[in-house]
Amino acid sequence: MNKSGNPRKRPPQPSPHQPYPATKHQATVPTAPPPPTEEDIVDEDVFFEENLMGEEDVESLILRDFEERQALASRLSKWARPPPSDAYIFQSRGVVFQQLEIDYVIGESNKDLLPDSSGLAAIIRIFGVTKEGILDRGIQIEGLGMKSFMTYESNVLFALRFMIDCNIVGGNWIEIPAGKYKKTEKNLSYCQLEFDCLYSELISHAPEGEFSKMAPFRILSFDIECAGRKGHFPEPTHDPVIQVANLVTLQGEDQPFIRNVMTFKSCSAIVGVDVMSFDTEKEVLLAWREFIREVDPDIIIGYNICKFDLPYLIERAQTLGIAEFPTLGRIRNSRVRVKDTTFSSRQYGTRESKEVTVEGRVQFDLLQAMQRDYKLSSYSLNSVSAHFLSEQKEDVHHSIISDLQNGNAETRRRLAVYCLKDAYLPQRLLDKLMFIYNYVEMARVTGVPISFLLSRGQSIKVLSQLLRKSKQKNLVIPNVKQAGSEQGTFEGATVLEARAGFYEKPIATLDFASLYPSIMMAYNLCYCTLVTPEDVRKLNLPPECINKTPSGETFVKPNLQKGILPEILEELLAARKRAKADLKEAKDPFEKAVLDGRQLALKISANSVYGFTGATVAQLPCLEISSSVTSYGRQMIEHTKKLVEDKFTVLGGYEHNAEVIYGDTDSVMVQFGVPDVEAAMNLGREAAECISATFTKPIKLEFEKVYYPYLLISKKRYAGLFWTNPKKFDKMDTKGIETVRRDNCLLVKNLVNECLHKILIDRDIPGAVQYVKNTISDLLMNRMDLSLLVITKGLTKTGDDYEVKAAHVELAERMRKRDAATAPNVGDRVPYVIIKAAKGAKAYERSEDPIYVLENNIPIDPQYYLENQISKPLLRIFEPILKNASKELLHGSHTRSISISTPSNSGIMKFAKKQLSCIGCKALISNGTLCSHCKGREAELYYKTVSQVSELEELFGRLWTQCQECQGSLHQDVLCTSRDCPIFYRRKKAQKDMVEAKQQLDRWNF
Amino acid sequence: MEVDSQKQLQRKQSTYLSLDENFGIQREVYRGQQYSQIYFARLHMMRTLLYSLVPNWKSHLPVCTVLGLEEGKECIIVGTLYKHMKLKPCILDEYSKERSATPLVKPHNFIHQDDYLVLEDESGRVKLGSTMLSPSVYVTGVVVALHGKETTAGDFFVEDILEAGLPPQIERPLKSREDKYVVFVSGLSIGSSSSNPLQFQLLVDHITGHLGDEEEQGLAAEIVYLVIAGNSVDISHRLLNGQNLTSKDQSRLSEPIKELDILLTQIAASLPLDIMPGSSDPANFSLPQQPLNRCLFPGSATYNTFRSCTNPHCFELDSIRFLGTSGQNIDDLTKYSEAEDKLDFLERTLKWRHLAPTAPNTLGCYPFTDRDPFLIDSCPHVYFVGNQEKYETRLLKGLEGQLVRLICIPRFCETGVAVVLNMRNLECHTITFGTQLSS
Repeated sequence: MNKSGNPRKRPPQPSPHQPYPATKHQATVPTAPPPPTEEDIVDEDVFFEENLMGEEDVESLILRDFEERQALASRLSKWARPPPSDAYIFQSRGVVFQQLEIDYVIGESNKDLLPDSSGLAAIIRIFGVTKEGILDRGIQIEGLGMKSFMTYESNVLFALRFMIDCNIVGGNWIEIPAGKYKKTEKNLSYCQLEFDCLYSELISHAPEGEFSKMAPFRILSFDIECAGRKGHFPEPTHDPVIQVANLVTLQGEDQPFIRNVMTFKSCSAIVGVDVMSFDTEKEVLLAWREFIREVDPDIIIGYNICKFDLPYLIERAQTLGIAEFPTLGRIRNSRVRVKDTTFSSRQYGTRESKEVTVEGRVQFDLLQAMQRDYKLSSYSLNSVSAHFLSEQKEDVHHSIISDLQNGNAETRRRLAVYCLKDAYLPQRLLDKLMFIYNYVEMARVTGVPISFLLSRGQSIKVLSQLLRKSKQKNLVIPNVKQAGSEQGTFEGATVLEARAGFYEKPIATLDFASLYPSIMMAYNLCYCTLVTPEDVRKLNLPPECINKTPSGETFVKPNLQKGILPEILEELLAARKRAKADLKEAKDPFEKAVLDGRQLALKISANSVYGFTGATVAQLPCLEISSSVTSYGRQMIEHTKKLVEDKFTVLGGYEHNAEVIYGDTDSVMVQFGVPDVEAAMNLGREAAECISATFTKPIKLEFEKVYYPYLLISKKRYAGLFWTNPKKFDKMDTKGIETVRRDNCLLVKNLVNECLHKILIDRDIPGAVQYVKNTISDLLMNRMDLSLLVITKGLTKTGDDYEVKAAHVELAERMRKRDAATAPNVGDRVPYVIIKAAKGAKAYERSEDPIYVLENNIPIDPQYYLENQISKPLLRIFEPILKNASKELLHGSHTRSISISTPSNSGIMKFAKKQLSCIGCKALISNGTLCSHCKGREAELYYKTVSQVSELEELFGRLWTQCQECQGSLHQDVLCTSRDCPIFYRRKKAQKDMVEAKQQLDRWNF
Repeated sequence: MEVDSQKQLQRKQSTYLSLDENFGIQREVYRGQQYSQIYFARLHMMRTLLYSLVPNWKSHLPVCTVLGLEEGKECIIVGTLYKHMKLKPCILDEYSKERSATPLVKPHNFIHQDDYLVLEDESGRVKLGSTMLSPSVYVTGVVVALHGKETTAGDFFVEDILEAGLPPQIERPLKSREDKYVVFVSGLSIGSSSSNPLQFQLLVDHITGHLGDEEEQGLAAEIVYLVIAGNSVDISHRLLNGQNLTSKDQSRLSEPIKELDILLTQIAASLPLDIMPGSSDPANFSLPQQPLNRCLFPGSATYNTFRSCTNPHCFELDSIRFLGTSGQNIDDLTKYSEAEDKLDFLERTLKWRHLAPTAPNTLGCYPFTDRDPFLIDSCPHVYFVGNQEKYETRLLKGLEGQLVRLICIPRFCETGVAVVLNMRNLECHTITFGTQLSS
């Protein structure tokens, strides 16, 4: 524990090696960690009192500059929670609250509640909010005594164990009847109500009816700004924290009730925002801590707070020697710890992160949630908010932040506005995407604390349900220690061969509804129903009681033993059905949000059960189950295909022969051959019905949609118009086609989208071909908007650490040599374009900064874009449609004229002499504008020049006013350098082209 | 056409003074400047002006900046309005992921009931709430003084509004007792499908005195000036697509300009004329549009009576001040605000003392650094706007006795209407040229 806990977090006081066991309840001295023997049964949620610091120290530190703080305190106190009602104080009333966080400590057991036992006991702490929103408590529940040696279920996290035993699910309501609890004598926390009770006195309410609502949590959204040095990413050991912006919102309200920003050095006022300026950085940090304590948020949100903001604040406080800063939690004098964690999951991949434990407050990092729940091409706050809120965010480069900070009160105000916006966007995202509802519902459905949902993978959720169910059935789960995947892998889902082509007749899609859960239910697949062939023989099981799966495993039938997993699944799916039905009835938008979140959570949970059995590095893998599931799945797809093609034939009395053109994991695409959507829908319904009848219940084939037209490229790659009613199509649906890949330039995305639009919606294939040709011609003629060609990649480590040379790493190195101050650092995203270079130069040597390209007229390499970027996706789309697609699209006459700009910084240009040339025919002339041959064409040539200027002027105006709009100010210069913004390079280019075009135009003023 | 030369008619003369200097950008260069400076210059000038008016308006109230607002305290703030518009087209839409099959907005007007106003000064911005301030009247870029107080929600509740009002006017000289006429025409659109060469030729013949009997020629002789307010040619832009032009297309580009030059030569030979560039003319896009290049008019440019001017255009004839544009400023206002008729827009721009408040926000404009050339510091006697749907006119009287003739000049190619103004009494009438025999 000592090693994994951050040793720097220990207070500077003496005796880090005091003898064990000095773990006392109200620790006044820091104590040593427990002996290492306990390590394996200890999990992350235990709080050892090593993190508590001497109470006197804190008090004295606080007293030291007492007067200065008074002013601040009075300012902050208006945001404190309203006082609790007397009924609670006199313990005359039962307490009902929604719990948010559960953790535990090891401590002396409470003599009053458990007079018989003595010694160490695990004390569970529950934090939550009552309905009135005024109260907020820490509860200590005595329980359980010392853990004994267990072979079964001993790998269960203690908090989870407690929840399962008390039937508590994450985020539900808990009641403690009046008289059953006792106020603690000495408050250990900052909670308004704090009391002890015995764990058996708790009443846990199922989240139904009145208890499905949400308590009015206080949600704090914050963002910090640091003044980095030029050329370095801010480091807490060097760079000060200069601003902290905070927004506090009550759950369920749409506007924050507190908006403030704390700044280092003066800052001009901002309307509607409380600006607090301090002369030292230390005061800023302390004010923030004070603010946290006073406002007492239940949930802390932000963007990348877990990996950046919170650790930065804590490490910065340590650098500055502010010992009392990290007491941000609800437990008095308990310090916040930072430690590095690695989260690894098959579904989400491996991610390194920092874990900051703040007792009693749930942290919800929007970045983590985004990365978990959405597949996006970029996770920068800017692009995420552009995606979900359709709002561009002004992006101030961190090298400018220092300049703004070192300016005056006005420039710092500018920064503060930016900082506030960054704090506001996570809140908006939280509301928009209903994260609170969805996650609380997920916690309720699966029964794990909310904090587990972000920090852990899927398996804990299934495990929690499994444990609950087996407790009901009086079963225990073995403690399987699984190391690696020695069991090997198994055959996955089946994919029917795709018959690539462009289908201009409606394609009906038959889907299995929740295929894998249905299979598990239908064939009673579970840990407890699996029998080995020997067992069958030994126990002499009759063949009618067992099922042999296509993969060769044997499971007993439900009449002999009903499986736990099928039962869990049945409950989940039944609950989902109920939630969906309720959703239809619901009127209140909040209730709707809760129900929708619930049905979504139920769906995800049901689908993750299969994954749980198949995950080889999980708690309880059982490949017999998962391979049986997939084998049944394969069988069903084949079966469906056969049935469809046998039944729907001309011989069978139908107009056409049906054809299965493609089938994936749980769906089959059928071309019935009928020309209109409605007929296809009717046949689809008929097919779904008659095929469903041949399956064991509850496996069901459903007909949902028709694709018309449908472009099938290969397996997992298709596009089509999606119809659910015969009148109008719903949308354009694409899968596996380059529209979101990160390492493509925007041109590819636009081109593919436009082509699909033309092919599918406009049904205009010649138009699509012409469009491609025009675009390619534009590319070759150097008329392409540069921002469409920019490729962006994240720089995750420095150049030396990359094994192979990559374009963006090489470029970052080169840029550092040019100007270290603006070069990208580790963690930044590096945008680049591929330029023309000497013959044989490697691709990574040809990367260049788009701005540098713009400024120096460096020619881009159209061939690279043609061959490496757009050709593959284009051919994929057009090959099923056109004969000779490659020849037609990529080598036609439109590729024959090429124009390349002359770089202004190349060596040869230094020796070149600039001479006037005729605007009309480029002939050299000594003076004037036109050569003698072109005289007489003035009107036409002038018109050409001036119309160029006029186009540019229009663009210039639109681009720069758009930036003013995003920035939200007319009177201040635009500073934004967001390279994620689609118009950033265009704006820059317009500015530069304007100068040149104006010069050209001025030549006419003779 | 033979002219009866028994009686010589002498064309009347007037003294001309160009005031276009302000609209020239010859000395300006694009140096990477942005639009904040022009707003800053505008706010600075207008604020000085509004501050001087406040004592006569509500002297008992304190004047604040947006930053200095205190909740519940009544005060006056001065700043630039910004209208937040839901339907305003945005260049970022070009990059949006999901393209909708049908366009959502009808392109002629972007007003939506959810639009709201924001007041901004250098220090910050505040959202305005009130029933007395209608967002559909105001547009982004107007500088006003507001009386009101900050509400608990952080909005500013407006109780009263003060616009700068009509600028002071130089007194019109009354000595001129004789009729002198100025003819306005706009939207000739030579080269477009709707233009009728005969129609314009009739106009030319009429004002040069080649038409009608003596009486009519007598009237023509009293025309002292012709103003062509924009969109004189219409060149198919489609021809310029980046590819090299065929020689046929080359001539198609210059044909309309040549035709215009021939006609202008006829006019310039007999009376002075001003030609202003418009949105379809071979000139730059953003305001102020610079004079059409003389190389486009090899014939007429040789006359000293031919003047190529800027748009907006300001000049004095016999000490009567004219101010006008080719219509872009008013067209933009109709897209982003509402009024009963076009003349209301003209009136508003005068009262706001700004020719084109929506520039640079939605109307292209050069990023000036030290001034805002569109501020109107002296009230014109005649304020005209070209390229409108129909002819409209009104005499606007100011509180301090200012008298302004407002004129909307219709597009000639569609209506055949030219507007004639009598400088003696600022009376206005039209002449319509038709080429159809039966009407």
